[in-house]
Amino acid sequence: MLSVSHLRKEFDGTVAVADVSFEVRRGEVFGLLGPNGAGKTTTIRAILNILQPDSGTILYDGKPFSEAVRNAVGYLPEERGLYKKSKLLDTILYFGALRGLSRTKARGEALRWLKRLNMMEHVQHKVEELSKGNQQKIQFITAVLHDPPLIILDEPFSGLDPINQELLKDIFLELKQAEKAVIFSTHQMDQAEKLSDEICLINHGKVVVAGALRDVKRRYGSNALALEFQGDGAFLETIAGVRKAILYGNSAELQLEASANLRDLIALVNERVELRKVEIREPSLQAIFLEAVGAALPAGQEARA
Amino acid sequence: MNKILVVARWEFMEKVKSKLFLIGLFVTPVIILAVSFLPAVFVTQEDKSSKVVGIIDESGQVAPEFARKLESEYHLSNGQPNYIVRIISEGSLDSSVAAATQLVVRDEIEGFCVVTKNPAGDTLAAEYRSKSVGDVVLSSRAEQTLREVVTQVRASLLGLTAGAVKTLLSKFDFSISKLSKEGEKEEGDFMKIFFKVLIFMMMMFFLIATSGQILVRSVIEEKSNRIVEILVSSCSPTELMSGKVLGLSALGLTQLAFWALIGLSVAFQSGHSVILPSEGLLLVLYFILGYLFYAAIFIGAGSPLNTEQEAQQINTYLILLLVLPVMLATPAMKDPGALWLRVLCYIPFFTPTVMALRISIQMPSAWEILATSLLMVAAVWVAMVVAGRIFRIGILSTGKTPRLKDIVQWVRTG
Repeated sequence: MLSVSHLRKEFDGTVAVADVSFEVRRGEVFGLLGPNGAGKTTTIRAILNILQPDSGTILYDGKPFSEAVRNAVGYLPEERGLYKKSKLLDTILYFGALRGLSRTKARGEALRWLKRLNMMEHVQHKVEELSKGNQQKIQFITAVLHDPPLIILDEPFSGLDPINQELLKDIFLELKQAEKAVIFSTHQMDQAEKLSDEICLINHGKVVVAGALRDVKRRYGSNALALEFQGDGAFLETIAGVRKAILYGNSAELQLEASANLRDLIALVNERVELRKVEIREPSLQAIFLEAVGAALPAGQEARA
Repeated sequence: MNKILVVARWEFMEKVKSKLFLIGLFVTPVIILAVSFLPAVFVTQEDKSSKVVGIIDESGQVAPEFARKLESEYHLSNGQPNYIVRIISEGSLDSSVAAATQLVVRDEIEGFCVVTKNPAGDTLAAEYRSKSVGDVVLSSRAEQTLREVVTQVRASLLGLTAGAVKTLLSKFDFSISKLSKEGEKEEGDFMKIFFKVLIFMMMMFFLIATSGQILVRSVIEEKSNRIVEILVSSCSPTELMSGKVLGLSALGLTQLAFWALIGLSVAFQSGHSVILPSEGLLLVLYFILGYLFYAAIFIGAGSPLNTEQEAQQINTYLILLLVLPVMLATPAMKDPGALWLRVLCYIPFFTPTVMALRISIQMPSAWEILATSLLMVAAVWVAMVVAGRIFRIGILSTGKTPRLKDIVQWVRTG
């Protein structure tokens, strides 16, 4: 569906994207990951032809960008902006028409999506009367209204409450089943882990980790221990056999040396804190992210790229 | 093409419902009419009560007759004399003037005339003094009456009979008419043409200024909330800009048509033929060209900006360019064929307004109309291309406002 190779873009001498390549196939949810300022949004803008790359190629079904591509992509920008004074249905119809939908078709689809997202009561409202989360849902509708084969969502989950996050996840699955290619960017690794089939982690404009989520995890080994406990877990970083410890308040993820003895380790931990849950598993995406990026990123951070 | 129409339709429908547009639609004609007619209404307003006018007459020959004439000639609506004349004589000229001045200061008299004798001969000099010299009606009536009286006195000195003097002084009407190109006489005098010119120019000015502001505002809104990203991923920047210009032009023409309808119905009611069809068509032509030209300028100047405040500043400068020709209306009427006026017609910033001015005063020759409209078409084309190049990059630039150097670079790399 989409193939990006050796993309490079500079702004006034600062390199935003140095060298990024990846492929996205139909029926695939593709997570474009990276810390703030990694070059995610620039990459997305280049794919959307909003800006021209300095070098590299972007192919859509094997062909370079053409006007037809405009109607084949849907886009939810990171910054949520809508016409405040306009009626929401009018706004949706406008964006639909801009993507080549006829008015009647657009109206039918708009109503279907509004119903799907529990927005019917607001149909006659102006955009400024809606909550932020609801405005974001409107923007999401404008991204999928014209049934595009390629859907690009920049930080789709930020700003949504848990109920709507679940709703959006369901829709992700539907889109996947409908053989759409969905690219979404995020720096919330738990979301990415639950949804992505394929990931591409970029940092400083370069691809750091890429591939199918399953393969990536396997590559990073299966020696991880997830703990839930009560007490001060600061000591976990220093005990023998632990290569790296990621600490949260009442839980931790330990990456173990190959030589580590699991039984001794658990016994040691059990002496110091009150263990509630112990699980041996693949490293989380968060752990992979931290290791690959090499910088501490507090869990649940909501800063914007 | 299709997407241009989609953008145009949106811009038109959203703006036509906006408060700014509705206010402009109804308030602008009121402002134009007020500015054009109110001063005249106030100046020519009839007095409600008699005014006292003083006269100091050094010659001793004119005062009584002046008083009789001024009092009997003009009446209030209730039949009372409009003016009451008070002859002031306090011995010397200086003390009379001092006394009369005091009367004016105390508001006992409206003003006073001083008629002095030239020591060198029998020629006279007259002067009117008042706190409100802006009362053109009174001062001109006083002057008129004084002249008549002086002529009368001189005529009788020459030995003319009373009847002969009356014949000499009998009034006649003087009016000014405008000749069209074909030599036909048109209805209308100076004031009528003056107001016509002023109204046309102000209409053009208001339309372009408000539309320009609407345009810049919408661009800045889309930039600041990043809707522009969705827009330019849906259609090309050129389509977006063309759609905006088209939609806004439709908006401007709607406004113009609405005003024209009001204007024509008012004119029809009052039985004045204000405008000839040929004039009207040409004015619309120059209006459209000027509108498109300034739309491009507003887009080019507005799209690199990020805030409303910056836009306000740019708007101010652009509006100054538009106001200038309005100020030229009076000198242009005195000499519609002047060289400087013909030169101004070839500067695209002024072409539409100055041509509108010239068309309403005196139809310029066919080749001038052809040359200036072709020039305008070319200017619109160039302005649109340049604006398009600025727009394409400008709408996506955020953060610090680009410098002029950057913008020149954008235009060059088109």
